[in-house]
Amino acid sequence: MHRGILCGLLASALLPLACPAEESASKIGIDFALTAAGQPWTCSAPPAPLGRGQAPSRLRDARFYVHDIRLIRHDGASVALRLAQNEWQYLDVALIDLEDGQGGCVGNRGQHARVTGEVPAGDYRGLQFTVGVPVSSTTADGRVVPLNHSNTEQIAAPLDIQAMAWNWQAGRKFMKVELLPEGGVVRAEDTVKVWTVHLGSTGCVGNPANGEIVACSSPNRIVVRFDDFDPARQRVLFDLSALFEGSDVGRDQGGAAGCMSSPQDPECPAIFRQLGLPLAVDGAPVAAPTPATTSVFRVGS
Amino acid sequence: MRRLCIPGVLLAVCAAWPVAAHQGMDWCPDPDEPASAGGTWVWQLPRNFPVPRVPADNPMSASKVELGRHLFYEKKLSANATVSCGSCHLQSRAFTDGKARSAGATGELTARNAQNLANVAWHATFTWANPALVSLERQMLVPIFGEDPVEMGINDRNKQAVLRRIEQSASYRQRFARAFPGERKPVSWDNVIKAIAAFERTLISGDSRFDRYQRGELALAPAEMRGKDLFFGEKAECFHCHGSFNFNDQVVHEKSREVETPFHNTGLYNVDGKGAYPAASQGIIEVTGKPDDMGKFRAPSLRNVALTAPYMHDGSIATLEAVVATYAAGGRNLTQPPHAGDGRRNPHKSELIGNISLSPQEQADLLAFLKTLTDEAFLNDKRHADPFAAKGGKPRPASRR
Repeated sequence: MHRGILCGLLASALLPLACPAEESASKIGIDFALTAAGQPWTCSAPPAPLGRGQAPSRLRDARFYVHDIRLIRHDGASVALRLAQNEWQYLDVALIDLEDGQGGCVGNRGQHARVTGEVPAGDYRGLQFTVGVPVSSTTADGRVVPLNHSNTEQIAAPLDIQAMAWNWQAGRKFMKVELLPEGGVVRAEDTVKVWTVHLGSTGCVGNPANGEIVACSSPNRIVVRFDDFDPARQRVLFDLSALFEGSDVGRDQGGAAGCMSSPQDPECPAIFRQLGLPLAVDGAPVAAPTPATTSVFRVGS
Repeated sequence: MRRLCIPGVLLAVCAAWPVAAHQGMDWCPDPDEPASAGGTWVWQLPRNFPVPRVPADNPMSASKVELGRHLFYEKKLSANATVSCGSCHLQSRAFTDGKARSAGATGELTARNAQNLANVAWHATFTWANPALVSLERQMLVPIFGEDPVEMGINDRNKQAVLRRIEQSASYRQRFARAFPGERKPVSWDNVIKAIAAFERTLISGDSRFDRYQRGELALAPAEMRGKDLFFGEKAECFHCHGSFNFNDQVVHEKSREVETPFHNTGLYNVDGKGAYPAASQGIIEVTGKPDDMGKFRAPSLRNVALTAPYMHDGSIATLEAVVATYAAGGRNLTQPPHAGDGRRNPHKSELIGNISLSPQEQADLLAFLKTLTDEAFLNDKRHADPFAAKGGKPRPASRR
């Protein structure tokens, strides 16, 4: 990066031909797609059988943030994908939005299923990315920008989306997946419409002396790694059958209807297990394996 | 503005000084007068109050505070234009609403009791139990954008349209331009929040009868004096959690470096015999996940406490008399469903809540003292009042110019 800037400066100043051609960059697009019951899934699709009880369910929301997207070279080293900057991608964070506000969905119309960016030309064979929003990222000019705990009304898109804000936890929902099971979600004292998965950092504490968030005991970010992945031919499948495999989406035993990342919520162990995340025990942090063992994200065509 | 011949600094002083009348500052102009955005803000505070911490990106100004007052009471800021901040925070009730839980724009009830807003500028954490919310600007995102429960009902789909309602008013456009000078697009949600936060930081209550007693301006009655001695003594132990100048135990100010943020279980519930609080609201355990944080809530400020019924995080105690009796008993033993259980035996109960066995006379004295914390000047201060209430409580557009 620095060499590029230096060459650029020199080139514009006096030495138009002195620098070797900028190491050629390859434009890369990484495609994401939603599947359920082995089929592509959308907001308007007919109900799909999901969870332990195979409850016929429609989609209400499917969005998640990814960051630190890297291509893996043949020698195992990885190279960061430099993201194009637009309303869906800011610094090294991208929002994957697989809902279109139609059918059973209530979100925005826009969708974003393809992350775009550049890597130095090279021979790559794998892909790694992290689900979630990082605490901070660094701009091209070296400025550190707080991201996960930034104020939604002061930050660039796509971190300004209120549906993905987790204001109660002073952060972001990393993942927002919501289902509408037929017959609703039966709880001890009532029935509600939506079974919810909200993933995000929990156990966060602020510093009243400066008004900033300082630490979260459970970061809950998922590192996904595919040793073999060809962006030209393959896509990252976000598989809701895998996500809900151990859950009964027609019922809820307590806490939020579904799992909002609370370790006390009886619905969270099954969801976290599928995501390859440890669930904090008694509020104490548990180290997450890197990469995570999960089939919720997998390689497909 | 300059034609008033009062420097901007002094105007700022007036806006920040809720007890002006007692200080002979009755020259303060009508709060609706436009104020200078340029003046340097000077806090004029009760003697024993430290200077509050103000976020670097939201400095105080008289015009921002005045804009914030309008927005605080502005029903157009809710999705269906039915509620404002002021709907659940009434000045006459020390900015509470007299309800156990409050209805938002859609009628959905909040999980907890609306809190009083006096002296919020010095709170270290906000809401009843959330160590992650450490500024008013961040706390405010919860009622504005919250979806569980819906309070103001703003979301991605309506937020621009709601903002346009404000932008359409020439008066508001002018107020925003004055409050946020030099900004290309001053009418934004960020600035709405900043202005309301600035207004809330001027809600300063420090002129109760007890304050005036402390300043040597009046004498308390014998019962009030006995109550005061109980309150600050080791017999009733109240001061452990309510002992600061703000009668709470979480205080941050300009010079604070490390701030302690204690939360307490006061033995209100014990629904499973193992200390559980009802699932609807269990305290900071919902954030920290630590088992011992069950039932722990922030000790609220007791300023104007006589006016903030019903009490506790869920409004489950109707009167101040009953609150004092509950503490005198060392917690609450509920014998009837749905939340039956002996809170006095809650294993997470604070060691500061003892069985203090106060006699009826002592409880009455304590109550008499608590009533000395009522600040009439604060409750009637026009600078905090609803600017739209002048005509029979009907909202009128702020459009004098």
